[in-house]
Amino acid sequence: MARIGSALLVALVAASAQAETELYQTVDRTKVGTEDTFTLEIVVTDPPEGAELQFPTSKDFEVLSQSRSTQASFQIGAGGQTTIQRINKHSVVMRANHAGKLTIPGAQLKGAGKTLKAQPITLDVVAGRLAPPPPPRRQTPPGFPNFPGFPGFPDDDDGFFPPGFRPQEPDIPRNDSDIFIRISLDRDEVFVGEQATLLVTVYSRFDLSNIDTVTMPKLDGFWSEDLATATRLEPTTKEIGGVPYRAYLLRQRALFPVKSGTIAIEPVEADITTGFLVAGQRVHRKSNALSLKVKPLPGGAGKTSNVGKLRLSTEVSQTHVALGEPITLRLVLEGRGNLRNIELPKLSPPPGLKAYEPQITDAFTVLKGQFGGKRVLEYILLAQQTGTFTLPGLSLESFDPETKQYTSSSTDPIELTVSPAANGGTQLSVGTAPNPLDPNEKNQLTAAGLKPLRYAANFTPMEPPLFSRAWFPPAVGAPFALAVLFALGGLTVSALRRSSPEADRARQAKEARARLKAARELALGGKVDAFYGEVERALLSFLEARCGQPMAGLTREALVAALATHGATDDTRARVVAVLDRCDLGRFAPGMGESAAKKQTLDDAAAAMEAFS
Amino acid sequence: MSLFLALLLSQSGGYYTPQEAQQLFLKSNDAFHAKDYAAACDGYRKLVEHGAGGPDVLYNLGTAHLAAGELGPAVLELERARRLQAAEDIDANLAVARTKVIDEVVGATAQAPFFQRLALATRERTLSLGLLAATWLTLACTLLAWRLPSRRGAFAAAALVLLLVSGGLGLGVFAHAWVAQELVEGVVQPATAKVLDGPSEAAHVSFEVHAGLSVRVVEESGNFVKIRLGNGLEGWTQKEGVARL
Repeated sequence: MARIGSALLVALVAASAQAETELYQTVDRTKVGTEDTFTLEIVVTDPPEGAELQFPTSKDFEVLSQSRSTQASFQIGAGGQTTIQRINKHSVVMRANHAGKLTIPGAQLKGAGKTLKAQPITLDVVAGRLAPPPPPRRQTPPGFPNFPGFPGFPDDDDGFFPPGFRPQEPDIPRNDSDIFIRISLDRDEVFVGEQATLLVTVYSRFDLSNIDTVTMPKLDGFWSEDLATATRLEPTTKEIGGVPYRAYLLRQRALFPVKSGTIAIEPVEADITTGFLVAGQRVHRKSNALSLKVKPLPGGAGKTSNVGKLRLSTEVSQTHVALGEPITLRLVLEGRGNLRNIELPKLSPPPGLKAYEPQITDAFTVLKGQFGGKRVLEYILLAQQTGTFTLPGLSLESFDPETKQYTSSSTDPIELTVSPAANGGTQLSVGTAPNPLDPNEKNQLTAAGLKPLRYAANFTPMEPPLFSRAWFPPAVGAPFALAVLFALGGLTVSALRRSSPEADRARQAKEARARLKAARELALGGKVDAFYGEVERALLSFLEARCGQPMAGLTREALVAALATHGATDDTRARVVAVLDRCDLGRFAPGMGESAAKKQTLDDAAAAMEAFS
Repeated sequence: MSLFLALLLSQSGGYYTPQEAQQLFLKSNDAFHAKDYAAACDGYRKLVEHGAGGPDVLYNLGTAHLAAGELGPAVLELERARRLQAAEDIDANLAVARTKVIDEVVGATAQAPFFQRLALATRERTLSLGLLAATWLTLACTLLAWRLPSRRGAFAAAALVLLLVSGGLGLGVFAHAWVAQELVEGVVQPATAKVLDGPSEAAHVSFEVHAGLSVRVVEESGNFVKIRLGNGLEGWTQKEGVARL
């Protein structure tokens, strides 16, 4: 079909007349930004043979790319004469170097002895970017096949990039516009712990033969995971501002910010080789820098720091085991997010069930640019007692950045039944020593965990201590105070008694009685005169105490008169005189040393004293 | 119904009858076993607040807090129970709670002061009542020895013995009074409490303490209390962060 068309064209050209040459130029917009590209189209109609087109040159603009297309049209006139019109279109992608009213000079066409010049075009150039970025075009970068999906999660997007990721068209640098490196993020704002995907891409106008010495930024403030690294240079074509580029995706990395705030990402550097062998050229390029705004998780402190779309599940190898037989419990965390950093709930086996440190197995995958996969904690449980145990259900709280809500994934409790071992306790040995049981097969009764609650209570109010009561110090001090008071009172009474004549007489009478008591002891001995002398002194001393005057040496008459004066009765006076006479007689008369006589004297003296008391 | 009654009583600020107290106590125990530790703690606390406390209720309250992972209140209530009653289960659960405390006081003095140990080993009420009885008996024996010369020796000896007993009991009561006055102890309640070098929000943070740590309160200023750890480390922290025993 193409051959038929070409033959027809040749025939028509031969029979046609040559039309007049035209030259003009247009731009796709007249107001642009300094960061925008625009297309200058130069159209030449029916150029003469050997004509040379001179593109407009100006230091106000830079030319990013050029392309040319040719087309021919046929026109049949009234006389059957055909006219062939050849049109050459030159597309020049340009960018202004600064703001202002800038003029693109007219292109010139020289040939056939004359020169044609197109009209200059004036552009209104403002600083920055004026035109909206072109609509995104979804594409699958070469070299990275689609990744397998996560089990249990719907594949809600068929593209390579994470949901919501619309790669923006990069800016072409003013220098090094032929080859440059660009780093980009799939989003400008994330929550702490939410994934942001960093892409490192090399854009080139030429084929590249090698990219090496790639220096990645430190990525401080992030936990990062490598999603993909290019092993071969396989470009895809990408048009940036109308300029075709070869795009080489170097790295794709998942970034999980660990703190809130604005975190800077430093540029990536690499050495890039173009061409092959001696024609090759090695250049060093440095990418742009980025920053990512990181929001704190809603709810503040006290909420979980786990972020992602996560699911928790458990599996046990068996629920009925013999004592000493291990049970394998698999705690499976799966989903999307930074699985390495997820804080899993702690397994708390009931007393009697021992859990050993788990073995951790990771199977991380990447789905649509999202890091995730599976983390499995494999616990070995060993029952130490027989019975039925319930492993409590586990719950994992996490923040889902897609729904912006906290969610919870829980597992069900697992009931385990442990029966005695086959040889445990019932095995009988005859004639041989019994084999000791494996320690693991023993029903170990250990005291562990919390002591149980009390089921009976003695309800007593919380009272202040007794010593703090107002009455307590006086109550304790009162006995001592009373003792001191009694002692002082006694001493005072004694002192008062000692100082009066009455007290003196009482003391004297007391001494007299004591003397009479001493005389009783003398009565037991053989000294008769001493005995009677003592009795006489005791009696006289008593009478002196009672009468308050000396009695020794008085005649009997004077003594009796004194006694009468002091109220002694006749009987008393007679008793006193009788005792004194008896004492006089006892010292000289024989027979008075008999004990009966002594006793009679003592009794009479005591009776006289009592009668005069 | 009983919970409604308890709620009503708690609103009115009245005291529980023994039957009501027992019902609420058993209800709280049931809540504990249903792992509803918040309800269990609530019930036990109502008993305490309405004059039906005691070591049994405090022990259960501390144990429920411990099971709920609330270390600060757990240590506080178990310590209070221990002060009222020396019992193995209280000591055991208190030991469990202390093993969960994050803080380790490095270089802490191994033994508490003598009076503190004496106070911990004895019951204040017993000592106080004993002291009261011993002093009055001493007086009685002294008077009898004075008034009954025939048995003066026996009563005097009894009075002397009682006087010595009174001295010992008095020392114990003094230990309790000294601990109550001079040795104000507390337990850190929040998960983390900042300890500053002065009683001001603007003061520099010296260190942090965590729930369940026992401290000594040595001074108070505004909303701050000065705490001292077993190794002599001191600082100021928010008053509400330290519950006194």
